[in-house]
Amino acid sequence: MSKGESFASAAPRARAQIWLKRLGAVLAWCGYLFLVVPSLVVIPISLSGSSELQFPPRELSLALYVQFFTDRAWWGAALQSTIVGLLTAIVSLAVALPAAYALARSSFRGKQLVEVLLISPMLVPVVVLGLGLYMQYQALHLVDTTLGVVLAHSVLVTPFAFVSIAAGLRHTDPALETVAMLMGASRTRIMAKVVLPQIAAPVAVGALFAFLISFDEVVVAYFLTGPSTQTLPVKMYTAIRWEVSPVLAAVSTLLTLTSLLFCLGIMALQKKSMPNSRPGAGA
Amino acid sequence: MNHSLSPSATLWLLLPLTVLLLVMFGYPLGLVAWSSIYVDGAFTFKAYQHLSGSTLFYRVLANTLHISAVATLVSLVLGYIIALHLAAMEPRRRLPYMVLVMLPFWTSILVKSFAFGIVLGDNGIVNQIAAFLTGRTDKFELMFNRTGVIIGMSNFLLPFTVFPILASLLAQNRSLHRVAEIMGAGPIRIFLRITLPLSLPGVLAGVLMAMTLSMGMYITPALLGGRKDLMMANLVDIYTRQTLDWGLASAIAIVLLFMSGILIALLLRVRRAEGLGV
Repeated sequence: MSKGESFASAAPRARAQIWLKRLGAVLAWCGYLFLVVPSLVVIPISLSGSSELQFPPRELSLALYVQFFTDRAWWGAALQSTIVGLLTAIVSLAVALPAAYALARSSFRGKQLVEVLLISPMLVPVVVLGLGLYMQYQALHLVDTTLGVVLAHSVLVTPFAFVSIAAGLRHTDPALETVAMLMGASRTRIMAKVVLPQIAAPVAVGALFAFLISFDEVVVAYFLTGPSTQTLPVKMYTAIRWEVSPVLAAVSTLLTLTSLLFCLGIMALQKKSMPNSRPGAGA
Repeated sequence: MNHSLSPSATLWLLLPLTVLLLVMFGYPLGLVAWSSIYVDGAFTFKAYQHLSGSTLFYRVLANTLHISAVATLVSLVLGYIIALHLAAMEPRRRLPYMVLVMLPFWTSILVKSFAFGIVLGDNGIVNQIAAFLTGRTDKFELMFNRTGVIIGMSNFLLPFTVFPILASLLAQNRSLHRVAEIMGAGPIRIFLRITLPLSLPGVLAGVLMAMTLSMGMYITPALLGGRKDLMMANLVDIYTRQTLDWGLASAIAIVLLFMSGILIALLLRVRRAEGLGV
């Protein structure tokens, strides 16, 4: 009797549960669509080849891509962004790596405060930093120079590289370094042969973060660049604002594909360092 | 055994980053604070006095708070739904769905703003579909107004709410849910009494993160908003480069910095209270 009762009440409950689950999935899919549609909608439009923005495209053509690669104003800006991104990645790794190592292998009062200070550029509204650097650069004649943008971007992206490397170092065993030192290895040799191989994946992730954030950064670059150092995002910003040229669809598609490559690369690298990080995750 | 570095080695290794931060971060921020109170060769609070009497400033402040609050709320609700969906999956199945969240996270905000122009514009996809379905020719005005800014900004903020909420959902002990189920609790009751309360730290972290980011937004209001949707960051830019009033621009920047400073202090407290951030 009691068994039959529980069955009778369980059936509608199970059905309600299934419906709830379906509703949740439908709503979640609305969310996924909202997330990815803006990144993907540019692809068909870039292939329409027409001088007007139209969706859906009436014909297929690569004309907009040809336009991008033959117009110096466009590919020049893309090249400038690539150069700035690479230099920024190098500078930020060069300063983040020693700092992350120092904090991972030392303990002192106020270490947490130092960590927060080191990542603080990621917490400040970029426009505030943009304004400050703009005023500083006016006095130093660094406005409209590649060096100026690279230094500014290095400050913005270093926290991301630092966090990635610091997380990697947390899963290394300092005893290995002590052993190597007892065996007579020098500091540089320990760094190159013991430490770096263990954190190669997080360092690579940090470098990808640094490059991509710099490559896409627009607000600070808009404050600090001029005609001779214009980066791709700045060129895009002015183009969207003043002309809305269809070439933008081709540029956007290239950028989306780049982001996809980076995103997959970063996920693959993070997965690679996963086996080490799993046990630590609960601690 | 002691694996620590010597204090002097620690200092030397920290030096390059410290110098970079002092020269390229500390100094410019100090310069902003300084130029907000040192105008035309004298100490003065006239920039702040000007702001306190400026209707434009109050309107922009109100815009900023309104847009940030609504966009944060939208991205919180959508983010929670997505996080719930992701948390219920097998880790292996979750990966491709994570790409759907990660891809927009890494896509340039300019690509997304340009794309929203195509989706939301007068002849955009939404209006074409609406015209096709209803047969009417009047357009929904979704661009160059408050709606456009809020849609664009919610889209930008969404990954930032999904990640902390997902983390707090995944950290929950599944056996609690199992026990509640055995004791006869329905799915809604389990959600309201167990899942939701335990995920509140993640919700709070997501909300604070989204508020901080949205208050400093520059690109979305500039490209998707109308003239009435200026936000603080846009005002800083206008005073810096069009009006050339660096004192006023600096004062606005300091107000913005102060507001996000409060939010960040709260965020750091939440992270620490959670105990997982250490």
